Amino acid sequence: MSGAGDESVRQGVIFLRKRPTGADALVATLMLVVLVASAFPLLWMVLSSFKTAAETMQVPPAWLPRSPSLEAYGKVAGVISVGRSMLNSAIIASVTTAGILVTSLMAGYAFAKYHFRGKNMLFAALIATMFLPPIVTLIPLYRIVGYLDLNASLAGVILPNLANAFGIFLMRQFIAGVPDDLIDAARVDGASELRILFAIVAPNVAPAIAALALFAFVYHWNSYLWPLTVLQGNSDQYPIVISLSRLLSYNRGAMNTNLVMAGATLAVLPPLVLFAFLQRFFVDSIVSSGVKG
Amino acid sequence: MSNSYRGSVLTMLTPAVGLIGVFIFVPMLLTVWLSLQDWSTQTGFQTARFIGLDNFSEIFGPTSIGRDFKRAFVNTALYTVLSIALILPLSVAFGLLVHQRNVAGGTILRTVLFSTYMVPMIAVALVWSKLYSPTEGPINQMLGWVGLGPQPWLSSPSTALVSIVLLNVWQQVGYFTVLIIAGLTQIPNSLYEAATLDGARPRQQFTAITLPLLRRTLLFSAVIAIINAVQVFEPVALITQGGPVGSTNVLTFHIRRVGIERAQGGLGSAMAVTLMLSLIVVIFALFAFARRNDNE
Repeated sequence: MSGAGDESVRQGVIFLRKRPTGADALVATLMLVVLVASAFPLLWMVLSSFKTAAETMQVPPAWLPRSPSLEAYGKVAGVISVGRSMLNSAIIASVTTAGILVTSLMAGYAFAKYHFRGKNMLFAALIATMFLPPIVTLIPLYRIVGYLDLNASLAGVILPNLANAFGIFLMRQFIAGVPDDLIDAARVDGASELRILFAIVAPNVAPAIAALALFAFVYHWNSYLWPLTVLQGNSDQYPIVISLSRLLSYNRGAMNTNLVMAGATLAVLPPLVLFAFLQRFFVDSIVSSGVKG
Repeated sequence: MSNSYRGSVLTMLTPAVGLIGVFIFVPMLLTVWLSLQDWSTQTGFQTARFIGLDNFSEIFGPTSIGRDFKRAFVNTALYTVLSIALILPLSVAFGLLVHQRNVAGGTILRTVLFSTYMVPMIAVALVWSKLYSPTEGPINQMLGWVGLGPQPWLSSPSTALVSIVLLNVWQQVGYFTVLIIAGLTQIPNSLYEAATLDGARPRQQFTAITLPLLRRTLLFSAVIAIINAVQVFEPVALITQGGPVGSTNVLTFHIRRVGIERAQGGLGSAMAVTLMLSLIVVIFALFAFARRNDNE
């Protein structure tokens, strides 16, 4: 085995590179403990979704389903409209993401490559909104969306989130690294600014765009407070995360923990699958956008 | 500045600035304005009636409105402090585990840790409410294996808030671990090599090199952790409804209940303004504290 690779990625095994010492054994043990503690709740969720209702009520708890079944998943579909909720979530997450990508690319480009009066102040004011918890603006925002006649609709969930400061910040960071020569050459060729942005600059920051897309998608797939507030009662429009809470109130009567776990598993799958495929982008973008030492 | 240049600036900025202006800045100013009004959320803004600081004396007053708000404020502060006190040390420890080069598996650990951050909070809350279940839950079962008695977790006023802190830490610590790793990679290896030559032991290297050079990362992490902590909502809305006996009533839940569900928009806005001002004070204090340490 070559010990040369700096990233000692050996999928699936924790192996020792040199002759193991006592300290190495301790480190390996700690890593294993953290790994198990981190993965345990989700494993429990999936295992419980395959149990029967009686098994989830057992004392002491049974860890493994005796005869794993998909029964709970079938029942979930009887309580909430899974397909419709997943579709609503997908619409909310993907339309919002598309909007964020476009607005962030445009504003990020302006802040990275244009010079205009008040640029730094405007940028600082936008960045400050990153530190504003959504609850601070929730009450008037709810009213404003009401004025626009968008209450109880997916459009009302989506519209206020089509631009955000984090996206602008991320795009500015990365677009600043695109060589000016590239942009000037295109200008000489007579390309419009929008064309330069989307045809020349954007492909040069593709990894950052992928990261932002994933962040935005997962964030808005998972978001709960705002859709709950806007959609009040209109269950046709509920995203899956809100439909889940209806499973719980159903569950209070019938005590079918397996149902709740099956529903939770369904809601968790899309963000986790996306993450599994693209986790490298996520992590890299945090590393490069988060802290500049 | 040519006209077409100015036009390009406008074209590029208008969508983002317009949206953030209408849906963040305007509501923020409205929150401040509404905090001085008597206003029902179910009516238009034009029905608001100026009442000065009455909302504020109400929410800090001796009536049940004041008692509930102050309780929610204290609960949120407690929740925030506990979250940070757990998240920061754990993320440094986990960051060191991932970053060390003696034992492989760091990348796997980082991936699994970070994956919990992708899980919707609502699912986290659902799963943990079952893990915490006093009789059928595996946590009390495992405590039993090591000789500890069963805990009431979410069902007792003395442990409910801590239980929510723990599930929040579980979800978030991976994100902060990645931030710490980013900070660690920026510390030059040569510092450690020089220290090793000078005979510094690992613990001395940690306190003399690692911690001081992580200071900025830790400050940034603390700010993010505070902002995240005051947003806790799902576990409370879904599982505890603020109880038992108000022990998990936190600000995001309480402000929404007052301002949206009870439609007391003025009172809710006064609470939101109090939260915003408190955050500003805390964050500025943190930065001032960090700057003073930098100068020493």
